[in-house]
This record gives sequence, structure tokens and C-alpha cells, in this order.
Amino acid sequence: MIRKLRTPLSRRTVLRGAGCTVALPWLEAMSAYANTPPASAFPKRFGVVFLGNGINEDHWYASGEGKAMKLSKTLGPLEPLKEKVNVIEGLYVKALTGQGIHPGQTGSILSGAKISKGAVISSGVSIDQMIASKVGEETAQSSICLSCDPPMTGYHETNFSLAYSSHISWQSPDSPVPVEVYPSLAWDNLFDNRGSLLNISVLDRVKDRAQALTREISASDKNKLDEYLTSVREVEKRVEGMRKEKSTAEDAAKAKNRPAMSMERPANGMPADLRQHSKLMCDIIAMAFQTDKTRVASLLISRDLSAMYYPFLNVTMGHHGASHYNNNDAYERIARFHVEQYAYLASKLDSMKEGEGTVLDNSCLMFLSNLWIGRKHDNFRLPLLLTGGLGGTLKTGRVLNYLEASADNRKMCSLYLSLMDRFGLKLNSFGDSTTRLAGI
Amino acid sequence: MSFRSTLFATLSTALAYSAPSLESQFDTTVKPFVNKYCVGCHSGATPAAQFDIKSYNTLGSVVREFPRWALVMERLHAKDMPPKPMKPAPDAEVHPVVEWIQAVRAQEIKRFASDPGIVPARRLSNAEYNYSIRDLTGQDMQLTKEFPIDPANPAGFDNSGESLTMSAALLNKYLTAAREAASRVVFQPDRLEFAPHPMLVETDREKYSVQRIINFYYSQPTRFAPYFEASWRFKHRAALGKPAATLNSIAAEMKLSAKYLPMVWQILNEPGAAGPILKLQAMFRALPAPSAEMKDADKILCQEMDDFVVRIRANTGMQHLAPRVRGLPGLAQPLANWRNLQYALNRRKFEPKSIRTEADPKPEIKPVPRFPGLHQDAVPRWITVMENARAKDEDLVVPNAQRDRYVKAFERLADVFPDKFYVSERGRFFPDDSTDKGRLLSAGYHNVHGFYRDDTALQELILDDKAKAELDRLWIEFDFVGEYSARTWVQYFVNQSGAVLGKGAESGSPRPEGHEITGTEVIMGLKKLHLEKAAADSTNDPHAETAIVRHFDGYDRTLRSLEKMRVAAEPRHLDSLLQFAGKAYRRPLTAADRDGIASYYKTLRSKNELSHENAVRESIVSVLMAPDFLYRIDLPGSRTTTSSVVKPTTPVRSEPLGALDVANRLSYFLWSSMPDEELLKHAQSGALLRPNVLLAQTRRMMKDPRVRGFATEFTGHWLNFRHFEKSNSVDRSRFPEFTDELREAMFQEPVRMVEDAIATNRSALDLLLGKHTFVNPVLAKFYGMPVENKDPKQWTRIDDAQKYGRGGLLPMAVFLTLNSPGLRTSPVKRGYWVVQKVLGEVIPPPPPVVPELPHDESTSERPVREMLAKHREVPLCAGCHQRFDSFGLAFEGYGPVGNARTKDLAGRPVDTAVTYPGGFQGNAVEGLRTFVHQRREKDFVANMSRKMLAFALNRSLQLSDEALIDMMQSRAAATGYRMQPLIEAIVTSPQFLKKRLPEASTAAGAQKARP
Repeated sequence: MIRKLRTPLSRRTVLRGAGCTVALPWLEAMSAYANTPPASAFPKRFGVVFLGNGINEDHWYASGEGKAMKLSKTLGPLEPLKEKVNVIEGLYVKALTGQGIHPGQTGSILSGAKISKGAVISSGVSIDQMIASKVGEETAQSSICLSCDPPMTGYHETNFSLAYSSHISWQSPDSPVPVEVYPSLAWDNLFDNRGSLLNISVLDRVKDRAQALTREISASDKNKLDEYLTSVREVEKRVEGMRKEKSTAEDAAKAKNRPAMSMERPANGMPADLRQHSKLMCDIIAMAFQTDKTRVASLLISRDLSAMYYPFLNVTMGHHGASHYNNNDAYERIARFHVEQYAYLASKLDSMKEGEGTVLDNSCLMFLSNLWIGRKHDNFRLPLLLTGGLGGTLKTGRVLNYLEASADNRKMCSLYLSLMDRFGLKLNSFGDSTTRLAGI
Repeated sequence: MSFRSTLFATLSTALAYSAPSLESQFDTTVKPFVNKYCVGCHSGATPAAQFDIKSYNTLGSVVREFPRWALVMERLHAKDMPPKPMKPAPDAEVHPVVEWIQAVRAQEIKRFASDPGIVPARRLSNAEYNYSIRDLTGQDMQLTKEFPIDPANPAGFDNSGESLTMSAALLNKYLTAAREAASRVVFQPDRLEFAPHPMLVETDREKYSVQRIINFYYSQPTRFAPYFEASWRFKHRAALGKPAATLNSIAAEMKLSAKYLPMVWQILNEPGAAGPILKLQAMFRALPAPSAEMKDADKILCQEMDDFVVRIRANTGMQHLAPRVRGLPGLAQPLANWRNLQYALNRRKFEPKSIRTEADPKPEIKPVPRFPGLHQDAVPRWITVMENARAKDEDLVVPNAQRDRYVKAFERLADVFPDKFYVSERGRFFPDDSTDKGRLLSAGYHNVHGFYRDDTALQELILDDKAKAELDRLWIEFDFVGEYSARTWVQYFVNQSGAVLGKGAESGSPRPEGHEITGTEVIMGLKKLHLEKAAADSTNDPHAETAIVRHFDGYDRTLRSLEKMRVAAEPRHLDSLLQFAGKAYRRPLTAADRDGIASYYKTLRSKNELSHENAVRESIVSVLMAPDFLYRIDLPGSRTTTSSVVKPTTPVRSEPLGALDVANRLSYFLWSSMPDEELLKHAQSGALLRPNVLLAQTRRMMKDPRVRGFATEFTGHWLNFRHFEKSNSVDRSRFPEFTDELREAMFQEPVRMVEDAIATNRSALDLLLGKHTFVNPVLAKFYGMPVENKDPKQWTRIDDAQKYGRGGLLPMAVFLTLNSPGLRTSPVKRGYWVVQKVLGEVIPPPPPVVPELPHDESTSERPVREMLAKHREVPLCAGCHQRFDSFGLAFEGYGPVGNARTKDLAGRPVDTAVTYPGGFQGNAVEGLRTFVHQRREKDFVANMSRKMLAFALNRSLQLSDEALIDMMQSRAAATGYRMQPLIEAIVTSPQFLKKRLPEASTAAGAQKARP
């Protein structure tokens, strides 16, 4: 079954600029939730952290297994977590090759779709949004999409829109999910329970109106309106019930003295220092996963064609400029900084206990870049890491090498199909693949 | 009159029974007869035809299910019952029973005469919701596409409270739909409107705004050739038979600019011309005088004039360079915009260096350099391309001594013919537009976002004041909705502003602490840095300073002005919101309504801390979820007068509906959608209750395109094809011609026919007997009819459709396909459809044990016709089948997808000769039409009237409606059975214009309807 997501009715609305998609209470999901107490099977989470423009190919490698795994310099920050990491080499996205550099190499990195040039932007629904549409209705926000790097939407020389460079999460073929760049706003949207509160407001209001109307009409018409009122009350009850369940879960966590993260609302505005910016975004994602506000997140620390500066790394060139000398130490430091953020998020998730394991054990956190070698704009293999055991469904502590595999057997989209399987989303095909990735 | 009404009429006049007498007669006369002749089959666990006649014990029970007893009477009278081989009952015993049934009918009709019936409050059906949203927002969003199909009431329609219900699951879907609608809201500076797609994502807002400007540009008359043709028409106006024509009138006729045509005329005719103008004038004079309209060959000559002007202007247009500043990229935005500005200001200017005299040395063709690197101006390369083009253009060589005179001529030419009226796209090598298509309205920056408006020539030459104002508005709205200035500025800041600090072309500035990137401080800070850079080197272009000041001041001014606009817009959005609510509620808002909406918005802003935009969207969601929108409720009127029925002892009270309720009934009847402004105006003033106004509005509405809603919903449900568009029962491997497009076209054919019949007031009989039909190219191809226009959206009336075996509803492919089970025809289904749906006969369902006919005609041993004949030999089956098999067999000349054929799928020739009930013999559809015309016309009209009435009243019909039906029949006969009088009879009836009042206690119960 290929989910046709080009339907005019999307089940989620996107709060503008909020970088998150808001779930609406589907009764099938809600009734299942209302009747089932928090189960021993913890929810699975999916996250993507993105680095634009590739890595330093001299310092990105690993060998061995488990405790004995040896990591290169750029991967060094993952040393404490390496048993929970999969280093994957050699996968690529065919649809993003041979059509021009940068946006043409990034536009469907998480979906494998064909993208189009010119005025009309068109990609495909990304894996994180596919997962969000499956599990997202059970959480306050079905996903959050954050970025430390403000988006660009001009045109690249190749005539592809730079929207393809600035977004990795696409909710429909026509629209990316707008990224939230401001930590304070990401916080507000996430911890405000905006979506369900709004539903309750609407339902309250129309309920009042229906009650007022009932007084004005004939007896036989009352019956019809009663039917309407009953329906409104029922939907309201379930939305309210869901909210209550959520807060009791949080209270329960606090009561058990679990080392639940506590965090204050970030200050307004955009942090001047990228280190602070990305830390805040990681903290927000960690909190959101732990409190089950959402189970899907994507974070662009730097986008494709990033112009960001790293004075704290003693790099004088901007990100993109430096990537043209990617086999220099300066760019290695940039790539390593990104891996540090990734490791930071992963270890935060690993510090949150859940049953016998941690939130990280129930997650799959992906690290990805759109290029391998920036100076050559080579994307026939991509830097890729997966951290977290995804609730025991993903073996970790491995180095998986697909460089020798045939073109058909080293597709990113095959990996995506395999991952989506583990979320209960079994598709016949995705992007350019109809098979699962061998050995995953 | 029909058989049934004749029967009733002749018998009813003599009767004067009163209720108790009828009740006792039931016991003394009717029950014994029934027990003797009927209960043998019609009782017990599985009564014949599912009719347990034994179960009727009281008069009340008979009244409640009167239609069945009407059938009893019919069958008795026709001596059909008891069925052969049983002997019919003797007349002496039958007669009193028939009379009694008739008396019951007469009594009930009198009791409930002009009873409007109970019309329960009802939610909008899926279709009504879609049409209402379309008319409310201006966008046909089709939000209920994935909703469950609405159930139909006994009359067969899905627009009745009898069958429409609400549940929590469905309410949830409405919530989703309302959110989808709200996501389409566009926040303009002075109003709200709706877009064809969601507007939540930046790129979508931009797409929306850009597309509107592009549509505006593309719709302007900016080609030169039509102006040359118009001038020719003016010149030869006498010969063309229009001596009184003026330039204005010709401009209007040809949809050209009335402002620009005189300018073109003048330059084509003014004396003292030189150079290119002289040449152009000669080309104009060379256009032959007309004998009739301009021939194609002459249009080609006009195009040659156009090509000439375009070439000259392309080669003589001014080119501009970005001012150079050492240390800044060649196309730094302030400098690039200066260059763009120069182009925009000089579209009607001529580059003096582009011409040369005969004495000047012939310029050499230079090698064209490669396209420039990133951030470099492409104009120098372009100039080389231009210079080469000029070198080859002999028309740019002028006589030595007359250079000045020729310069004036070229200037004059440029003044009238700009090198571009507007720029709709810029690739990265602008003004060379051979690469990078599709960058609409782009400013041509490298990588970063940016737009630039260059349409001065369009404004000066083509647009009148009104159009100019509209274009200005579209650009302002682009900035307001698409926020292009703010986004361009931020992207510039983050990606390119570092260049002024010497960091290189692709670098941003450090993020400002404590300031917004779009704030004045940041903008002025960058301006200062740029000015310093420009002043630092004396060889820098002196224009750079002006360019820089203009650029940064312009941004600050624009962004501050937009901020003010946003604040000023908020109350206007709230006004728009209230207007929206009034339209959605289909009535004027009360003070309570307004307060409720205003306070809900305020709560969303303060308590829920939503932004203005999100609060407005949520408010729209709440309007679309309110029962005032979702439900149609006829409110009890303020009048309490009782009904105008004569007998004061009548137990049923009713009162006239208020004008607003009448308006809503009228629009949902005729359009399946909400009333429009004009109708509401008449409702609010009360005028709609006056018969002449009511009729005038009805007539207006029947001619309105929205009557397609009625044609689709009424016809679709009446004739059972409403959900044909989703039907998948055709085996497309056997019938590959059956594509989605053909299916859609088949669906539309009866809709168009009924729509046309109403709009042009044709006779209803034409629907069955007419020789015409409607086709689009897809359907025409299927039918073998030739059509000229190949546009699939174009529908044509084919008057001689009978030549192709079509004409009227009966042989339409949609019905023939609908009533075929896939790989064979089904005369049973087709015949049943004609007799039951079209002619209105009541035929009981088949008994449970019916053997299946073979599934695939091509592999069956015998033709269907023969198998059915054997079938009819069984008396139990014949009782019903003789009433409709023949109708279906008449269609054997059409295959399972309605394709005309002479052989069935097994290769056997089809036989379409049939004998109808009563012995009439006919062949194929022609025969069926003749039979209907001679024997069953009244049945058809009566049936259609009944269906239409049930559709209009949103309830099943009841006994008391029969009087109205009878009246409609007489009226129809007197007006040639035309559609409009039928509809008018409905909308002026008491049933339509009144509402039944609730009763204290009622013994009437619910009078049951005829299906």
C-alpha cells in the first residue's frame, strides 16, 4: 500500500512558522489510547540530525563491533555511546544524483522523490513525516522540525529552488514543513498543548451555541440538534481524556523521582552563539521525547549551502566555503562539532530511564549529510549514523558497509522502508526502492 | 391522467364516509375478504412479496402504510391478484374493498390537505456542504471527498433529516475539514479571502501571490501585431462595413488597450517619418484593402511588422551595468538593484550607440565570452551578444548626413514600442533570458531569494488607472502575504551581508544581539558600512552611493510600512470574519452572534496566546463547526396564525415560513447550496414572500449556472447514478475504452441534459423522447459522434443524436453501464430501472431464491433474452418480470458499457424486438420511446414530479401531497410539460412555504410516503 498523501485533507495542520505539526484526535487512535494504560512497550521515537555539505572524508570511518569498535576523529564524540551506534557506509539517494549540485542533491534526502526545477517546488513526503502520520496522532504534536540555520528560498544556478536546501522534512509533495528557528517558539508550541486545547475551545464554543439554539427550536428539531450535541460532547470527552492521561503520566514520572529533565523556557530571539542555539534545540527535542509530547523530530544544525560561521572553532571561512576545502582540518572541526551535538542529544536521551532501558534505547536517532566530499560535490555515498535500538528492533554497535553492494542494494530508501517497518508502517515502495535494506 | 389517479377520481366523489364507519367497514368488509383470498400467501414468517397483509389490524395501520394498500387496490382492479393459475375473486366481493381503500385515501387527504409535513432539521449533506463551501469561500475545495456516503431517505434522496445523522466520528471529520478550509485563508491588508491551496507555509504564500501577478501580466494585451491589425481595421472601417467605428470601439472589440491603440495609430500614420518608422509605415500601407475580415495571410504580415519592431527594439534597447564598488561583489544586492532600476526606467529609451552611419567602419563580430562566474554581472557578456546582433542588423545603418534625424526616429520608435512591457522572469544571466526558465518575478540574485518589479512600460502605455491600481495592489499584497521584502532581507543578512566586511560573497553577518534582523538599526548599520565602502575608493562608480542609500532606505521604509499595515489590517480581518460568519449562517448576524465571535477571538488571543492569524483561523473553524452552518433548521416563525385550511377541526396546524427560511429552501432546492446576496436581500426585506418576487427569483435561479447542483444531486439520486464516478465494476481489461475520463463524461451527460432542460425551459418529455444529447470530446468519441472542439471541458449539444443511437436519457451510456453486472448486459436491471426509477412503478424485490444468470455473456450458451424468456414461464416470477423484462430487452443493442452493438459478446446477433405490457410491440429504443409516448407519458411526469417534490421538501412524500401532485399534473399538461412551471408549482405550494407546528397530541402519527 502506498499511502497517497496528496489528499486534499491532511490530518494535521501546521502552525505557521512553528515547525511542528499538530495532531487532531482521531477516534480510532484515541479510543485505543483511552482504554490502554501506559504499556510496558514504550513508544518508539524517530529523529534526524542534519549536517549540510558533507564531512572530511579522511576522518570519517569506523571498524570493529560493540565495545571493540574503533572510531575516527570526527566520530570520536560518540565513544561513550558506541555500543548503541550503527555506522553505515555507502548508501545513497539515486534521484538526487546527476541533476546539479546542492539543492538538486538535497531536495528529497529523506524521501527519494524526484524534485522539480523552476517555480513549482515538488518533492515527496519524507520518512519522518510518514512516521509522524502513523504515530503522531497519539501525541500532542505529531512532529517537530527545528533548524539552527534560517531557511533560504532563492534559486540556485541549477534552477532548483533553495527551499530544497533549507528543508529536509516534507509533509506533502508541494510543501515542506516550515522549520522553527527560534528556540522560544519551539518551546511554546511544544509545551503548550496547543492542538488539543484548541480543539476543546472550538468544541466548547459550538456546544454553547447548539445549546442556545436548542431553546429556540421545535421539539422535533431538538432531536436532531441533540444528536449533534451528543457528538460534540463525545469528541470533547475523548480529547480531554487524552490530555488528562498525558499529564498524569508526567506527574507519575515526577513522583517516581526519575531523573526527568527539567528545563526553562528559552529566552526570546535567536541565540547569537550557535553552540547555545543547537544545545537548546537538542534539549527541546530530548524533553519532547521524554514527555511524549512528540515522537518525531528533525533538526538541521546547518542546512545545505549553509553560510554559518564557527568562530569558536577557529574557522575563518563560512560553512559552505570551508566545505570546498573539506579535507582540511578546519572543515573536520565543523563536522565534528555537528557530531558532538548529535552525541549530546543521544546521551541526553540515554540518561532518561524508561523501563529497563532508556529513551535512547526506544529511539532511532539518525545523523545524515547530503554530501560525502564537499569539494567534489560527491553524493554517491552519504555519511550516515543511526543511534538507538528502537525498542529492541534494531541491532546496534555495528559498522555496516554497503560500498561494495550493487546500486540496487545500497539505497537510502531501502533503509527508510526497513525503519518504517519497525514503526508498523509497512509500505510496498518508498522513493526509488521496493526492497528492504539487507543486513539492517 | 394516470391510471391510478383516474381510478381514484371516479370513485372518490360519491363517498362521504366518516372515520368510525371506515374503521368498522375494515372489520366487516375488508378483513374477511383478505382472510379469504390473500392471507394464504401473504402472511406468516416469509410472506409473499414481503407483504404480510394479515398483520394489518386497524385503520391506523392501513393509513400508516397506505402505499401498500394502494398497490393492493391496483392489483385487485387489474385482476392481477390472486395470480394465475388461481382464479380471481368475484367482482362483487372485490368492489367494496377497492371502494373502501379509496375512501380511506380521500379521508386522509382531506384531513391533511396542504399539510406541509414534518421536515426535520437536517445537517448539510456531503454534496450540500461542498457546494456551500464553494459559494462561501469562492474555492471549490471538495472537503467531503473522503467522508462516508450519506444514506438516502425512502424517497431516495440524501438531503433529508429522515436519514442524515451525526456521530462523533463524523463530527471529527467535519473538524478536519473545517481546519483544512481555515488553512486556505489569505490575510490581505484589507480583507480575508481564500486560496485554492493551503497558505500556511511560506513557499505556498509566495506561490499564491506570484501567480496572481503573473496571471495579471499574461492577460494584458501586449503583443504589437493585434494593434497593427486594429489600425488596419480603423483605416478600412468603411470598407469593412463599420464607418462609424472609432479607435476606442475597435480596441474594445479586440480587447486591446484603448490608451495604447491611438499611439500606435499615430506612429503608423504621422508625416515626416524616417528610418525604421518609415519602413514600418510602408509595411502598414502594404497591407491589402479588405474585401471581408483580415485574411490569415495579412495577419502574417502584421506579425512581420511585429517581428520587425521587436528586433529593432531588442537591438537598440539600453543596457545597464551595476555600479562597481571595489571590495563588493559585482552583483551585491544594492548594486544589482540599481542596475535593475535603470532597466525599468529606460524601457522606452534608445541606445544611441546602437546605430551607425554608412561611413562608420563595419563593426566586427566579437567572440562571445563565456557566461560569467558566480556573483558577476552577466551584462558585459550580454552587451557583446547585443553588439554582434547589431552588427548584423542592416536597419541600424543610417545615412551619413542624417544621423540626427534618424536618432530622433529611433527615439520616437522606442518611445512608442518599449523593449519590454514587463519582466516576468529573470534567470541568473539576466538580461539574457536563454537559461533558467521559471524564476518568476525573480530579481536575478545569485542563490538568495529576491524579487524585482519591472513593469513601467506596461503601466505607462497599456494600463488604465483602474488596472494600474489593481497591479499596484497585487504587488503590495505580495509583500503583505508572501512577505518577500522581509524574507529577502533576512536571507541577504544571513547569507550575503558579510561581503561588505570583506568576508566574501557568500557570507552572512554575525547575528545581531538584542535587535531584530529586520529592525531599522540593523538595516542602517549595513547601509553605513556600504557607504563607507563606496567612499573608500575614488574610482568607485559615483552612482553607487545613490544606489546604496536608495536600497537600504527603501527596505527600512517598506518594512516599517508593512508593520503598520499589519496592525491596521487586524480590525479589517475581524470585519471580514464577521461578514464570513453572516454568509456562513445564511442569515443576518444578531448582536449575540457578533459578540460571541468577537469574544471567542479575544479569548484565543489572550488566554490561548494565539497570534492574530491563528486566532482568526480558529475562529473560522468555529464558524464552520457551528450548527448555524452545518444544519438547516426552519425556525418557528414569529407569526402564530393557524393554517388556512378550511376545516377548523383539522388536527394539523401550520404556519408560513419566514422569508429567510424560504430563501434557504429555495437555494438548497435549486442549487443544493446557500442563498446568494441577491436572494438574501429579498429575504431580509421580506419581499421574497410576495409571489411575484418569489417567482422572479426562482426564474433567475433556474437560469443561473449553479443550477448544475440541482441537476447533479436530484437527477443523480433519482436515477441512481450519483456515485457512478466512484464505480469500479467495469472490467477495464475487457473494456479498455472505459477510462476515468470516459466515466466522468458518462456521469455528466444526464446532468447537462437536465440542466439545459431547466435553463431553456424544455418539456420534461424531451428527457425521454428528445432526439438530442450533450457530449464532450471523450464521450463523443465513444459514441462515434464528430466534434470540432477537442477541449475535454467543452460540452456540445448534438441535435441529431438519434443517428448514433442516442437521444434523451434512456440510451445514455451511464445508465446502461450502471445497470450491467460487468461482462454481460442485464435486461432485468435495465428494465427494472426504466420501470421503477423512470416511470415510478412500485415493484417488490425479488424472492430470495433466484438462480443467477451466467456472469460472462461471451461464454454463455444462450443469449440472455432466451434465458429470461424461460424465466418468465414460471408464474411466480412472471408476475413481476412481465412488467419490466421487455423494457430491458429493448436495450440489447447496447453492450455492458453502453456501447452500440449488433452482436452480443458471444458473437450472436442481438434481437431487440419486444412486446410491452398490454401488447404493444416495439423495436429497440425507438420502440420504447414510442411506447412511452403513447402509453406512459403521464406516469413519467407524475413520477418525476413526485421525486422533485420530495427532493425540494427534504422529506418523503405523504398522502396529503397527492393533491399537489395532481395539481402539478394538470398544470404540466397545460404548459406543455415544461420544466420551469413544474418547479414553480413546487415553490409556490403550501408544502414548500409553510412549516407544520408542533401539536399537543396527535393521533395522526407519521403518514407514510410513497417511495
